[in-house]
Amino acid sequence: MDRRIFMGAAAALGAATVSRAALAGLPEAVQQRSAATQPPLAPTGGVPYNPVVTLNGWTLPWRMNDGWKEFHLVAEPVEREIAPGMVARLWGYNGQSPGPTIECVEGDRVRIFVTNRLPEHTTIHWHGLLLPNGMDGVGGLTQPQIQPGKTFVYEFVMRKSGTFMYHPHADEMVQMAMGMMGAIVVHPKDPSLHRADRDYVFLLAAYDIDPGSFVPRVNTMLEFNLWTWNSRAFPGIDPLVCAVGETLRVRVGNLTMTNHPMHLHGCEMFVTGTDGGWVPPAVRWPEVSVDMPVGAMRAIDVRFDDPGDWAFHCHKSHHTMGPMGHRVPAMMGVDQSDLVERIRRLVPGYMAMGEAGMAEMGEMQMPLPENTLPMMTGEGPFGPLEMGGMFTVVKVRDGLARGDYRDPGWYQHPAGTVAYEWTGPVAEPQRPPGAPPDAGAAHVQVRKPGGHGSHH
Amino acid sequence: MNHLSKRIVRLPALAAAALLLALAGCAGLGREAGFDAMASAAAQRVGATPAWPRDDAGRQRVDDEVAQLLAQTLTADDAVQVAVLQNPALQAVYGQLGVAEAELLQAGRLPNPRFRTTRTASEESFKYETALTLPLGALLTLPAVLGMEQRRFEAVRLQVTDRVLAVAADTREAWVAAVAAQQELHYLEQVREAAEASAVLAQRMARVGHFSQLDQLREQAYLADARVQLGRARGAALAAHERLMRLLGVDNPVRVRLPERLPELPPQPGEDGELERFALGQRLDVQAAKADAAATARALGLSRAIGMVNTLELGPARLAEQGEPLKRGYEVSVEIPIFDWGGARVARAQAVYLQAAARVGETAVNARSEVRESAAAWREAWALARQYRDEIVPLRRRISEQNWLRYNGMLISVFELLADAREQVNAAQGSIGALRDYWLAEARLRRALGGRLPAGAVAEAVPAAAAASTGRLVRRED
Ligand SMILES: [Cu+2]
Repeated sequence: MDRRIFMGAAAALGAATVSRAALAGLPEAVQQRSAATQPPLAPTGGVPYNPVVTLNGWTLPWRMNDGWKEFHLVAEPVEREIAPGMVARLWGYNGQSPGPTIECVEGDRVRIFVTNRLPEHTTIHWHGLLLPNGMDGVGGLTQPQIQPGKTFVYEFVMRKSGTFMYHPHADEMVQMAMGMMGAIVVHPKDPSLHRADRDYVFLLAAYDIDPGSFVPRVNTMLEFNLWTWNSRAFPGIDPLVCAVGETLRVRVGNLTMTNHPMHLHGCEMFVTGTDGGWVPPAVRWPEVSVDMPVGAMRAIDVRFDDPGDWAFHCHKSHHTMGPMGHRVPAMMGVDQSDLVERIRRLVPGYMAMGEAGMAEMGEMQMPLPENTLPMMTGEGPFGPLEMGGMFTVVKVRDGLARGDYRDPGWYQHPAGTVAYEWTGPVAEPQRPPGAPPDAGAAHVQVRKPGGHGSHH
Repeated sequence: MNHLSKRIVRLPALAAAALLLALAGCAGLGREAGFDAMASAAAQRVGATPAWPRDDAGRQRVDDEVAQLLAQTLTADDAVQVAVLQNPALQAVYGQLGVAEAELLQAGRLPNPRFRTTRTASEESFKYETALTLPLGALLTLPAVLGMEQRRFEAVRLQVTDRVLAVAADTREAWVAAVAAQQELHYLEQVREAAEASAVLAQRMARVGHFSQLDQLREQAYLADARVQLGRARGAALAAHERLMRLLGVDNPVRVRLPERLPELPPQPGEDGELERFALGQRLDVQAAKADAAATARALGLSRAIGMVNTLELGPARLAEQGEPLKRGYEVSVEIPIFDWGGARVARAQAVYLQAAARVGETAVNARSEVRESAAAWREAWALARQYRDEIVPLRRRISEQNWLRYNGMLISVFELLADAREQVNAAQGSIGALRDYWLAEARLRRALGGRLPAGAVAEAVPAAAAASTGRLVRRED
């Protein structure tokens, strides 16, 4: 399929078929242009709750209409900045991918208008919600698909609190590969239940955007090159911010096609909720990596005792990389010094890379194909971060004001609390009696720093 | 060559005997005047003046001139000049002209019955001597023999001029082929270089443990292949160079320094109609046919011309040619006079003359067709060479730039980068091939036009010295 034609058609059709007049009287379909984390949307009446913060996203405003909370989602082509220097042409809702978070309270009667500005039909399935079968959003099975230019209405009661998702159930593979998804957070009717001081939500999504191109290859099943949180990749993912001693809740949903062990440094993690409901406290166990199954949501509660900049990432190390050639052979230990000049005669500007490892990729910023993120990048207070994809930092500080989500900058370590280089004398190692002097180093070829003698 | 001999064989035998009056002036020819006339006709057509040294001083002059030409990088025009000065076959042919001229002078002074016999042995295509054996006294036969000798001399002169033109064209083609082969060799060396770097790297990769034997052997096989290609190309380049040496008459190839590159592709070629008209004025076969018709008229005693006729409009030729050049706005014609035929006695003369006229038409029609054919090939070659220069080579360069960016991002490996370099070199090589074909087509067009291109048919060839279009690989600012 020619992706450009595909997208061109999307833009033209979407824009043309929904007239403003046809939408008169409906709640405004609010649009979001920014990929930055937007301030949470505090409730202005009704049951009080601590609003959720959508990481690099936003919450959809609503209006009350005769006892119904009315929302308006518009399915449409969007441009999403994956990270500075890279924009993806996706499909999403209300100007962004993922769509805005729908936030409400247990027992709310909600009416959600869905307008289709895509070139093809769509539906929305309310993943995990208990609702009448005809509201379940499965195209062909529980409703006719929403044709381009049409608006459908979903009406149901939020029967239970928790963390849920919405996504299309019509041409589902394509539409989800194109970025159509959003989170639903339902707060308990009783504000004292399941309280958290800070509440973040994001969805995991994987894209395959060929270096130099803009639109995901929707037919890819496994070999994705962009592993994102809310369609953002490091260094584009904002930090999560919380104070020492606060309860931090991170709600994560997985709409990729593989699992992701979410690993948060510096604390113990408890899964307090799944998309099935709240986990009884008695059966929660502490973890440092919470595995995210495919098509599932988790609410993870943590509390930090120590301030600092704590890494938060998927523990599949290839998922904390930017686009890279998975078939590129390693070059460790391969001396190229005598060949570089010869190769330069054919490929001017050639540089030998990878002789020692790939760390130099994180240090050098070489020109890359258009609209392509580096394989690893980022600069921390102590050096290159060498990361990409599903990586960010939880910034834990003492005495942060409640509701202050601003990035506090890099952590200033108290003196004597950072690992340091040993400069004292190096004594002979203590060996068990009778061990041969070089036991253990027998047949492993190790390339020693600075040496060039590993091949012979 | 062929046109000429054919044309002369077809000469009506009787015509020769009737040339008496017309031959009066030929006795004034001096030694070497015939060569000089030939040389100036050739020079006018190929832009290079032949020399026929017959003593040490003359030979020294030629050697000096050749030495001077060979002292610098040899252009195509210089190569042609060297060839017409010292191509060994041409020297022999010049000798033939000298013999014919001497015989003509001899015939003018002393009628010598033996001389006919010797000529028959050396020129098998001239059959009319036997037909014209005249059992008369020397005085009676003198004018007839003189006429024959004059016509034979003219024929030899045209033949020799034609040989000069042929050698010039061959030399030009050989020069193009030799320069192109050398340039191609340069690119194949780059391919070998890329394959070698790949193979060495693969070997090291395997030694350290990154590559399987299979991966390594593949690179090794590619290198072996690249070396074979390079060897073949070396042989071809050597052969092309030696062919040029033969045409130049140079015995020591070290003396010849060819440019590193073919001349750049000139701007857009001109219109065909111009070329055809130009060819009809320049080609020797057309001129020979017209001269034959005129001689025929004289032989038949036709003197009262009542107008001119375009031979291209005679008979079926007219149908074949109808309209096209006129549509383009070019008047193309080959005109000869027509005569007042008078009574029945000249009915035969009329038929004989129209026969000659038809042959002029045939020659002209063929000449025009040849010009169109070679001009079309020339134009086609130009378009192809331009496509290589303006499209394929830049495309390949851009692809290489993109691959370089991918290499930077560790999206591809150095092996893909080197494979791409080979692809890019292949495109550059293709471009050289297309440029070579253009210059070969141009040389063939010159030949079809009768020696040279009309002024303004194309702009002058640009030497490739400053040209970057095919020479360098990726350029980028780091
Ligand atoms: Cu992962």
